[in-house]
Amino acid sequence: MNKKIKFRVNGKKFEVEVPTNRLLIDCIRYDLGLTGTKEGCSVGVCGACTVLMDGDMISSCLTLAVMADGHDITTVEGLAKNGELNPVQKSFIQYGGFQCGICTPGQVVAATALLKENPRPSEDEIKDWMMGNLCRCTGYYKIIESIQKAHQFAK
Amino acid sequence: MKFSQTAQIPVAREPLWNFLMDVPKVAKSLPGVEAVTKIDETTYEGALTVRVGPIKLNLQGKIFLEERNKEAWRAALRAEAKDRMAAGAVNGKTTMNLKELGANQTELLVETDVNILGKIGEFGQPIIRKKADAMLKEFVDNIKKQLS
Amino acid sequence: MIPFEYRTPKNLKEVHATLKEFGGDAKLIAGGTALVIMMKQRLVRPSCLVALRSVRGLNGIEIKDGGLSIGGLATHREVESSSLVRRRLPMLADTFHHVATIRVRNMATVGGGLAHADPNQDPPPSLIALGASVKATSASGSRVIPLDGFFKDYYETVLNPDEIITELFVPKMAPNTGAAYIKFLPRTADDYATVSAAAVLTLDKNRKNIADVRIALGSVGVTPIRATEAEAVLRGQPLKPEAFAEAGEKAKAMVDPVSDFRGSAAYKKDMAAVFVRRALEKALADIRQQARAKAAPKPPAKKKVVKKGRRK
Repeated sequence: MNKKIKFRVNGKKFEVEVPTNRLLIDCIRYDLGLTGTKEGCSVGVCGACTVLMDGDMISSCLTLAVMADGHDITTVEGLAKNGELNPVQKSFIQYGGFQCGICTPGQVVAATALLKENPRPSEDEIKDWMMGNLCRCTGYYKIIESIQKAHQFAK
Repeated sequence: MKFSQTAQIPVAREPLWNFLMDVPKVAKSLPGVEAVTKIDETTYEGALTVRVGPIKLNLQGKIFLEERNKEAWRAALRAEAKDRMAAGAVNGKTTMNLKELGANQTELLVETDVNILGKIGEFGQPIIRKKADAMLKEFVDNIKKQLS
Repeated sequence: MIPFEYRTPKNLKEVHATLKEFGGDAKLIAGGTALVIMMKQRLVRPSCLVALRSVRGLNGIEIKDGGLSIGGLATHREVESSSLVRRRLPMLADTFHHVATIRVRNMATVGGGLAHADPNQDPPPSLIALGASVKATSASGSRVIPLDGFFKDYYETVLNPDEIITELFVPKMAPNTGAAYIKFLPRTADDYATVSAAAVLTLDKNRKNIADVRIALGSVGVTPIRATEAEAVLRGQPLKPEAFAEAGEKAKAMVDPVSDFRGSAAYKKDMAAVFVRRALEKALADIRQQARAKAAPKPPAKKKVVKKGRRK
């Protein structure tokens, strides 16, 4: 069964016809061609599929595309504005917050949401917020440091 | 996964044995079993519906009467079933031992060994264990009820 | 996932009508975090999903009869962030904060979680200890169901298939009451507990005797367990240091955990005793802390930025 959905992704309006059993992550990656968001575990645990729905973090692998109808989605592709990376992205580059990069889209989306709510989080606050974004490479130290120092790149 | 159930059935060994030889009757004593049909002397076909909350399994498969040892008062049934939507499969063997307690009292010992394969098996061994234990208890109670 | 119809009713009347239309083959979906996983694994195969997210007006959080009334469609995140909940019942905000990750909490609803009835969940033991109840609504009316007795089995509640949880009500706490929820997480922070314990302790006005106590545990059986026998050795008794340990032992005798990757059944039983004791100690500390705060001179009010979950 197909349904037409209307939603905004990274500020741009889309109208897509999707089967009801299409997951949001698949809609984003295949129907819209935005492959920045990754699927790691498919059970909502690893955080690689993190996107923002109306500014709130969700697991796109556990959300049906039809549930995004009428909402605003932000993916990692939507973080940079006019070709300029956002402070979190700049900080991750400066302080080495990634290695293989597979978890990184989820990490920067989650960190961006954190800094919107709490511009100068403590280390404990970062760990509490970012707890659901797993990384197999970095051991998390550089991710935490990148987030702590992201304010240096804020306007 | 191994289970063991015991019950005191208020009949002598012989009538209990005869009851147990009626495979469809025995199979239908297990809650959720529907439609048991005979294929040959020792093979039957059946369906079993099991529910755990919102999860419903429709298992379809065969039941084999593997052992029929009247001297030792021991019988064994083997079952192989698959879920219709391929969420998994179940293989199991049940051995039933009858022990005479009195003129009209027999102890029925039901020992079951079950393997749960596929998604349902992954999903929750603890849930399955609790569920299977409850089902087997009801199985033995149903046999007792039918013979009381 | 097998194909299904997806309906977005705008109000409860439409929800009930849609459920009636599809009968037993329809499933309600709120946040979907539990249901979508099961559907992906083909363990649940509804022919129709009835989306509750489109129903407005069921996610409010307000004071009612001195207690807290939380809409069934409020998300976990809305409850943990609510300044009302954090001020009046921090243990409740703390409990909801312990659930999984922020991503799950942004979608999973209070009512949906309770209806899902996984015995490892965090809110149920706390809510049972708080004496909370839910309002369940169907086409034929509503009824109030206390959470103590709401859970029947793994994934099974006393709800009828056409009933929706529209409200969670947490009654007003008596004076000199402390509440605590402790989640034993030897593995990762986003996991279910190996064992969890919630305790709500009420002392008499001299704070020397235990006027009332409610203790509940999670992850120790096919449902959350209210440790009535632990409560019985405390209720009406003077506050003694050994009392909490004794209550822990009584609770241990009431639980029936399963061995799994979070711990063996024997270990979980031992931990049940330990964590009931710790939860009671924490609840007592809460009472003393509240008494100190009441007696202390008030500091100047600090403006705290608290996020309220948004529902568009």
